[in-house]
Amino acid sequence: MSTTPERWDLRLYTAGQSPKSLAALANLKRICDEHLAGRYSIEVVDLMKNPRLAKDDEIVAIPTLVRKLPAPLRKIIGDLSNEERALVGLQLRPHNTGAGK
Amino acid sequence: MNSEGLSRDAAMLQDAVEDAEDVCRAIARGEVDAFVVGDEKNSKVLLLANAYQRYRQLVERMNQGAVTVSVHGNILYANQKFSQMLGIPLAQLYTAPLDAYVGIADRARLGSYLMLSASGSRIELTLNRRDGTTLPVKLSLASFADGYATLLVTDMRPLQWPALTVDALDSIRDCLETLNKPGADNAEARKAREAISEEVNGLARMIDEMLDVGPRGG
Repeated sequence: MSTTPERWDLRLYTAGQSPKSLAALANLKRICDEHLAGRYSIEVVDLMKNPRLAKDDEIVAIPTLVRKLPAPLRKIIGDLSNEERALVGLQLRPHNTGAGK
Repeated sequence: MNSEGLSRDAAMLQDAVEDAEDVCRAIARGEVDAFVVGDEKNSKVLLLANAYQRYRQLVERMNQGAVTVSVHGNILYANQKFSQMLGIPLAQLYTAPLDAYVGIADRARLGSYLMLSASGSRIELTLNRRDGTTLPVKLSLASFADGYATLLVTDMRPLQWPALTVDALDSIRDCLETLNKPGADNAEARKAREAISEEVNGLARMIDEMLDVGPRGG
């Protein structure tokens, strides 16, 4: 993926230590290390501590990953257990790889 | 509205529909376990039941009592450890007034403590156990929300053991001096032996309690 942008700013909305939140963070870290090594930052926003922050990115379900950079902003809802879907959502992989809905 | 505006609105609607579809898909696949509800000023996070499992297991298995009481002081939840502390089955604890298990002298203080509900505050009092013995404990307010107070209950005996052990050993030493004293009469010697026996039994009970509240006692 040498054509991917230099900087990836990701924000993961979690709900404390809920199982899906922990899974999402673990999956995200693994995906980033494999595909964006050294070029990403992850901000974890725990909505259990401050639910009001959900409105910033209009979060409804948790966990939700928001790609802040590169633009455009993109959201991936769920625990990122489906890596293909996560890669397509992050636009690290083309949409036609069989990870459709 | 011109065609450009209509196209923009159509694109926004399309995004909104895709977002909604994504949420539905994630729910259907069990990939989310919490939702944000409420308006912007009063939003909350609702966790699905299984999302609490980790905390529930932690609370159920921890070696510290936990009890949640209503504004009226009735027990709404208690963990296994709290049940063990009192020697009363969990089923009997639910809806019972907490102060029924607190020493009479401490009940007014407990009432004031629950009314103030200051997070992080603590109170020391005595619990009445089913077997008629008492248990010195420290209550710490873990949380207070929606009118329910959750208290952590810590057995204070371990903190008392060092001082009690020193006292017992001092007493035994004094008794041995009496026994070894030249010219001690039979009555003195018998009294000393009885005192030693009592102190040793007390130490044995303390060791039993240590094993019960320690890791081996689970």
